[in-house]
Amino acid sequence: MRAHPSRVPIYLLLLLGTVLTFGPFYWMIASSFKPQGEIFTATLRLVPSQPTLDHYHSLLTKTGFVRWLLNSIVFALGTTVLSLFLSSLAGFAFAKYEFRGKRALFAIVLASVSIPQFVTIIPVYALMVRLGLINTYWGLILPFSVNAFVIFLMRQYILGIPSELLDAARIDGSSEFGLFHRVIVPVIRPAIGAAGIFVFLTTWNQYLWPLILMQSNDMMVAPVGLATLSTLYVIEYGQIMAGATLSTLPILALFLLMQEQFVAGLTSGALKG
Amino acid sequence: MPPQPVGSLPVNASSPPSGPTQAKPLAVALRWPKRWNQKQCAPYVFIAPFFVMFVVFWVGPIVTSIGISLTNWDGIQAPRFVALANYRRLFSSPEFYVAVQNTLVAAVVYDVLMVTLAIGVAMLLDWRHLPWRHFFRASFFVPVTMSLAVVALVFQLIYAKEGGLLNQLIQTVGLPYKVDWLGDTRIALWSIVALRVWRATGYYAIIVLAGLQNIPKELYEVADVDGATPWQSFYWITLPLLKPIMAFVVVTSSIWALQLFDEPWILTKGGPINATLTMVIHLYQHSFQFGELGFGAAIAYVLTMIIAVFSFLQLKLFGSDISK
Repeated sequence: MRAHPSRVPIYLLLLLGTVLTFGPFYWMIASSFKPQGEIFTATLRLVPSQPTLDHYHSLLTKTGFVRWLLNSIVFALGTTVLSLFLSSLAGFAFAKYEFRGKRALFAIVLASVSIPQFVTIIPVYALMVRLGLINTYWGLILPFSVNAFVIFLMRQYILGIPSELLDAARIDGSSEFGLFHRVIVPVIRPAIGAAGIFVFLTTWNQYLWPLILMQSNDMMVAPVGLATLSTLYVIEYGQIMAGATLSTLPILALFLLMQEQFVAGLTSGALKG
Repeated sequence: MPPQPVGSLPVNASSPPSGPTQAKPLAVALRWPKRWNQKQCAPYVFIAPFFVMFVVFWVGPIVTSIGISLTNWDGIQAPRFVALANYRRLFSSPEFYVAVQNTLVAAVVYDVLMVTLAIGVAMLLDWRHLPWRHFFRASFFVPVTMSLAVVALVFQLIYAKEGGLLNQLIQTVGLPYKVDWLGDTRIALWSIVALRVWRATGYYAIIVLAGLQNIPKELYEVADVDGATPWQSFYWITLPLLKPIMAFVVVTSSIWALQLFDEPWILTKGGPINATLTMVIHLYQHSFQFGELGFGAAIAYVLTMIIAVFSFLQLKLFGSDISK
């Protein structure tokens, strides 16, 4: 294919954009393999001259990283499962039933999307102290399982399911809850996938709430734990980059494996609204 | 995908299942009262779990927050009522104004830069002759997979004064500068804004791209026949038709930008000399480092008001209702 001369500037822009996008990724991975003395050099050194696995070794054996990663996974998965369950059940009620107070309740839920999380952080912290949930997974997960955004998505999706399907199942003797788990859930699987990725990723990225709630070292989530490594007296940047790489890889893999759903999940709010 | 056939029991489903192999509805398994499974009660049962959590973790806290903000609670001793003392202290503290100013300036600059870039990237991705379409579309989205805290840690190596990537590049080009990206009070905030733009642009570009693809191509053809320049088409067709989606992008990204915390907290702790002090850092320090939870609650309330006003102004600006 011969490049059209007028298209060259556009190709250059694309190249620049790609370099800018991947630059920090590359730097993170490259730095994680560089010996400590090579991380900050006066002149540019793109490729590690003596690649080493030392940082990965010390990260996994001398810091709490494995535990932090596990905590992050429990936090993100737990929040995803719980919030999907609560939201799809409530979304079903909002989409397919008529009941008193429906409009008002839904409006209140929607309005809560625009309220920033930090407003509730002090009272919720106080609540967690009283319930004895400081340093526990429940304390971490429960506040995030309420996601008005996901309810909205579920309701939108369920609205598109023909009500005749439900009536047919009712005639066949299904209970109302049976409708949910035998008719609705199988049909809304794509929406559950998209919303699940959305919740998983937002939870995985959380920093402020886990920072406040998880005060003991072995209950920290990965981002918080890694950040503590950069406040030590001697900062091992290579180790931190190794941790950064390891905590990004699962998400990157998820993205590469299920791009369509991933993009749909993260942008669905804008496009359905 | 067709739903699985529902077991055709002739009897009322809330009666015990007929056989051991029949998958029984969970409701029956849990022995819920019969009437909970009737059509009039069911919706309330379905929304109940969500609303219990919603009241405990959202509505309740928002209300009790007002109460806490009127006390001198420190998290340990019993709180004492101090009326509006916390608010008075807040409005007479110069630090608070610095935090508000930093946050608003950073948010506005971030919004303008990010939205402009996102439109540009989206138009590139929408270009008819784009090679490797899939690759580029995916690659601009990739920064979203890195959590903000991790981005901050990586940019520590990029912004470092001694031996950071940026200063290495400057040196390679042959310029005699060594910039203190995070240590210079005039630059630090912009370094953090740049980091945010890096992470968010691709994500919003994908959203804008979906908006672009909804614009009928015939409009451009007609404009072309009428002799419109590409700029005229952009200004008179693309921008007006992108408006609803831009309203969403700007409002949501601003709400997010106004909660700026992770990166400045990790990179600069609000320094140097409060140059990157943001509203949420201010809130966090007073509440959880100095143990002034009453004062922190007051800060939280004022910040919410600021965010509400900011969002309202933006919606006015766009003249649209995305709250539909």
